[in-house]
Amino acid sequence: MKGFLVLFKKELREQAKTHRLLIVLAVFLVLGMGTPLMLYYLPSIVNTSEGTQLPIPDFTAADVSMEFLGSIAQIGMVVVILVAMGAVSRERERGTALLTLSKPVGRGTFVVAKLAALAVTFEISLIVSALFCYIYVGVLFDGVGGAAFAAATALAGLFLLLCISITLLCSSIFKSAFAAGGAALVVIVVLWALSAIPNIGSYAPMGVLDWGNGLILGKGTGAWGSLCISAGLAVAFIVGAWQALMRKEI
Amino acid sequence: MEAIACRGLTKQYGSVIAVDNLDLFVEQGSVFGFLGPNGAGKTTTVRLLVGLSQPTVGQASIMGERVRINSVHLRNRIGYLPEEPSFYNWMTGRDFLLYVGELFRLPSHENRKRCDEMLEFAGLKDAAKRKIGGYSKGMRQRLGLAQAMMNRPGVLFLDEPCSALDPIGRREVLDAIIKLKSHTTIFMSTHILSDVERTCDTVGIIDKGRLVIQESTNRLRERFASPVFELEVEGDASPLAARLRSLPWVTAVEEAGRDAGAMLRIRTDDVAVAKRELPGIVSDSGLVLIRYELISPSLEDVFIQMIGAREKV
Repeated sequence: MKGFLVLFKKELREQAKTHRLLIVLAVFLVLGMGTPLMLYYLPSIVNTSEGTQLPIPDFTAADVSMEFLGSIAQIGMVVVILVAMGAVSRERERGTALLTLSKPVGRGTFVVAKLAALAVTFEISLIVSALFCYIYVGVLFDGVGGAAFAAATALAGLFLLLCISITLLCSSIFKSAFAAGGAALVVIVVLWALSAIPNIGSYAPMGVLDWGNGLILGKGTGAWGSLCISAGLAVAFIVGAWQALMRKEI
Repeated sequence: MEAIACRGLTKQYGSVIAVDNLDLFVEQGSVFGFLGPNGAGKTTTVRLLVGLSQPTVGQASIMGERVRINSVHLRNRIGYLPEEPSFYNWMTGRDFLLYVGELFRLPSHENRKRCDEMLEFAGLKDAAKRKIGGYSKGMRQRLGLAQAMMNRPGVLFLDEPCSALDPIGRREVLDAIIKLKSHTTIFMSTHILSDVERTCDTVGIIDKGRLVIQESTNRLRERFASPVFELEVEGDASPLAARLRSLPWVTAVEEAGRDAGAMLRIRTDDVAVAKRELPGIVSDSGLVLIRYELISPSLEDVFIQMIGAREKV
């Protein structure tokens, strides 16, 4: 992994200079603060007009927390794809990869540095937004168990890591960033669809999100199989990205 | 020891053979011009030599070390400037050179020192803190040259270093290359003949993926290009041209009109006879001789002769 730290620092600086870091943090913060606020004020917003009285259920802290983590999974996935789809492909397309990869750094290091920098950006954004969400839920609702919320957030973090590795694999295969983004979306949707199949579903990577919801509700069992498969797939996709890049003409 | 050695190097893309059984040897300390028309296989060869592309067959070695794709160790010893280098536009020129120095694991103080040296060498000291996105093509090319030299490479690969530049940019980059001559072995691919004449001591000509010839620049001129006599005369030169064409030692006569006269380019296979006979023949023609010159063959003559001969085959 020679040159890893140099590439990792460069990736983080690039994310900061090109405002990607700020955009990801802003989106996640909006979700972290916006979800509890919106659900808290939703009944009064809907029923402001005279005469209209829609039956809005009372949201609990658990509902709000699950809604937040659900939004993180869906919107976070889209943001991951948008930010990571050009990570390798755009560098190949523009030719910047040519100068870096003609230096004494391996292609594996090149991919892993990108993974690490993206993971840092998304995981830190997730932690910050989860903190805000936890505080708002505590203030506006009846609060949720800290350990359960932290564990559910960590599981959402694993899901985002899986999305990053899938997108990096696609970005290493395709030279067009849009093709890479489209392919990553298809792979993630297929994995999501697998979770709906009985028997297989409990081992599907997206099972970690259901496990997170179960933790917040205080019921359900641990989807360890799903967790191991998610982690294993994340590693496999990164190894795949490295191997795909090894076979490419730069 | 040879700086570069290729044996049977071949690269095939589907049914297209980009580099065909290339045997090439470049001496250490030389400036090697790798010459060929567009699409001849120059860039593919350079990419094979720097380990960015995998050969279909054959192998190459640089300073005795075999080139392998992703050969990290070898890259510590070489420098590479691609045809149109792309940089991270958000970086400044200085940032980029420091980044490259870090990739070569230069100690911090040495990296800064080398960076300053290279900025000075590339004439970018004043623009060091400007973002690369605002650099001109010439500045980017010189920055490319500077980054390729950051690690003091044993062999420097330059892929068409001047092809995208205007005459001023070209001159700046060629001057920079000439400055590097005494420091490293240079392998320069180009289709611009005058650049090779100006900088290279050895030339390899590639066409359709095959090496046509490899020779020192001077020997190549001596071997393959016959000298040309240029005559500028006043009056109608057609009868003189006709007479010259009939002579056994004249191989070709080209005629070009001038304001009040004509210019003749005469090729011969016997320079000694031509030197002796030509002035008398011109005198007998009754034309007024304005200029009489024996032109040394240019590399362009050799190139056209060699590539042209292959086209006819």
